[in-house]
Amino acid sequence: MGRMKFLCDAERCIECNGCVTACKNEHEVPWGVNRRRVVTMNDGVPGERSISVACMHCSDAPCMAVCPTDCFYKTEDGVVLHDKDKCIGCGYCFFACPFGAPQFPNGQAAFGARGKMDKCTFCAGGPEETGSQAEYDKYGSNRLAQGKLPLCAEMCSTKALLAGDANVVADIFRERVLRRGTGAEVWGWDAAYGGGEQKRERKREGQS
Amino acid sequence: MTIRMMRAQGGGFAALLLMLLLWAFALPLHAAERPAGSSAADQAERQVERPLNNAPVWRAVRSGEAHTTNVRGPEAGVLIQSEGNTWRQLRNGPITQYGGWLLILVPSAIVLFWLVKGTIRLHQPRTGRLMKRFSAFERFIHWGTAITFLVLAVTGLAILFGKHVLLPIFGHGVLAALLDVGKTVHNYVGPAFGVFVVLMILTFLRDNVWQAIDAVWIRRAGGVLDGSHVPSGRFNFGEKTWFWIGVTFLGLAVVISGLILDFPNIGEWTRSDMQTANIVHAIGAILLLGLSFGHIYMGTLGVEGAYESMKTGYVDETWAKEHHEIWYQDIKAGKSGHP
Amino acid sequence: MSRHPLKRLPVLVLAGVLSAGLSACGEVPQVTVYEQGQYRGKTDTRPWEDSEFKGDRAAWEKALKQRARNQSEYNRIQ
Repeated sequence: MGRMKFLCDAERCIECNGCVTACKNEHEVPWGVNRRRVVTMNDGVPGERSISVACMHCSDAPCMAVCPTDCFYKTEDGVVLHDKDKCIGCGYCFFACPFGAPQFPNGQAAFGARGKMDKCTFCAGGPEETGSQAEYDKYGSNRLAQGKLPLCAEMCSTKALLAGDANVVADIFRERVLRRGTGAEVWGWDAAYGGGEQKRERKREGQS
Repeated sequence: MTIRMMRAQGGGFAALLLMLLLWAFALPLHAAERPAGSSAADQAERQVERPLNNAPVWRAVRSGEAHTTNVRGPEAGVLIQSEGNTWRQLRNGPITQYGGWLLILVPSAIVLFWLVKGTIRLHQPRTGRLMKRFSAFERFIHWGTAITFLVLAVTGLAILFGKHVLLPIFGHGVLAALLDVGKTVHNYVGPAFGVFVVLMILTFLRDNVWQAIDAVWIRRAGGVLDGSHVPSGRFNFGEKTWFWIGVTFLGLAVVISGLILDFPNIGEWTRSDMQTANIVHAIGAILLLGLSFGHIYMGTLGVEGAYESMKTGYVDETWAKEHHEIWYQDIKAGKSGHP
Repeated sequence: MSRHPLKRLPVLVLAGVLSAGLSACGEVPQVTVYEQGQYRGKTDTRPWEDSEFKGDRAAWEKALKQRARNQSEYNRIQ
C-alpha cells in the first residue's frame, strides 16, 4: 500500500464545518481543541474559497524533527502519530508546523503549561492497544484499524475533502478536474509532501 | 588616549547591541507581506473577467496572513506559515551543531589553560587581617542568580541536546520523564532568574562602570600573558566585561526572550515572534553558558581566594592588594571603595 | 609580540571568522526519513494487526482502497 494523504478540493468546499464537527464528535476531543478547521479566504467576496485544514501527515514532518523528546513516529502508511505519554507540552511542534495542526488543551497557559499536544491522527489512534479505552481517551477512535477512512473525509457532503491512499485520491481528483476543466490546484501538497530537497532526498533513499 | 579608547568601547558595545537586535529582526521568521494581486478586490474583479481562474486566491494561500475561520485558537486563520521551517533549520542546524561544539570546546580550552598555567596563587603570605568585599545582600543576589542559572542551564541543555545525548543512553521513557520535570522546572525557575538578574545589574552597576584605569588592563591583557600585576578598582576589566556582556546584555536577552516563550500567545505575540524569541534564547543562553565557564573557573579553580570572597564576603588584605590594588588603597584610605 | 597584545586581536578574529566560515561546509541536509521499526519509542501495532483483520494485510488494503474509491461520486452514479 502506498501512502495516506488528505486532499481538500477548494472548488467544492462550502464551509459547512461538518468535518470539524464530525472530528470533534468522533474523537471526543477536549474543549478548545480542534483537530480540523475550515479557513475561508476573502470571505463574502465573489469567488471566495474555503479550505479544510488539519495535520497533513507531512513526508518530512517538521514536528518530528524538532520534538525534544522524539515522541513522534510515522507508520508504514505515512501517518504521523505521537506518543502522549512522552509529550512535555513544549509547543515546538506548534512553532514548526506549517499548517498549525498541533493543539494544546490548556491553550495559552502561563508558564508554558500547555498540556499534552493533540492533533489529527488520520483516525489511526496512537501507540496504545488498538481499540482500547486508553487509546480512545488519549487519541480518539482508531477507524483505520476497522478498515475505514478518516470520518471528516468520509462524511464530507460535497466530497471536497478526500482521504486515503495517495494514488486513489489523486485519481479521483484528476478525473474531477478533467470533467470540470478548472480548479486543478492541490492545496498544501507542496508544503506537506514536498518538492525540491525533500523529493531529492526521497529519491536518494530509494523511495518513490 | 584612554578617553578615546573608552569611547570606542562604549560605541562598540552599542554597535554590538544594535547589530544583534537588527539581526534578530532580520531573521526570516516573519510572515511575508500579502502578495500583490491577492486582495478581495482583485478577486472580485477576476471573478467577472475570468470566472474559472482563481489566481488571487491561490496567491493568498501562502501569504501567511489570517483569513476567516469559525474555529478559535492562536492564529487559526493562517493556512500555511512558512517561517516554521526556517526556525527548524536554524535550531536543528547551526544552533545545535555549533552550540554543541562551543560548549565542548570552551571547557576543554579552560581545562587546558589550567593544566598549563595552574591556579594563580598569592605571592605574599596572608596577613590574617580580613577586608569586607561583599555584603550579605550582594552574596544573596550572587548565589540566587548562580543557583537558578545552573538549574536553567542543565534543564535547558537537556531540552536542546537531550535527543542527541540522553536518548541513545537512556531511551525514550527516561528522557521524556526527565524532560517533563525539566521543562516545568525551567519554566518556573526562569522568571526567578529574571528577578535575580535585574537585582544583580542594579546592585553591581555602580562598580562596573568603565574607568580610565581599565585601559591599562586591556593593554596588558589582564596580565595573563606576561604574568604582570595590573592594578584595578573593585572590579577589573575582565569582571566588568562579564558584567556588561554576560550578565547585562546576554542575561537580559535570555530573560526577555524566555518570558515571551514562557507565556505563549499571551498578548499579541504570534508563532513567528516565539520562533525569533527561541532563536535569541538559544544563542544567548549558549553564549552566556560559554562565558559563565570562564567566570566559574576564575571564581573557583583559577584564582586562590576568589571563592572565599563570595562565600564568606571577606578577603585577606594580601589578596586585596594583589588583585584589586586601587580598591585596597581606597578602603585603607577610609573611602567607600566604590568608584 | 607580548608588548602589543592588541595587535593579535585582528589576527585572532580573522582566524575565528575563517574557521567559522569553513565549518559551514559541514552542514548536512536535515530531511529525515522515518521508517516503521526504526522508532525506538513505544511501539504501535499496525492497523491490520490486532483488529478485525487479524493480520490479513491484503484484506485491509482492499477494504481501504474500496472506501477510498467510494469517495468519487462518479463511481456511484455510473
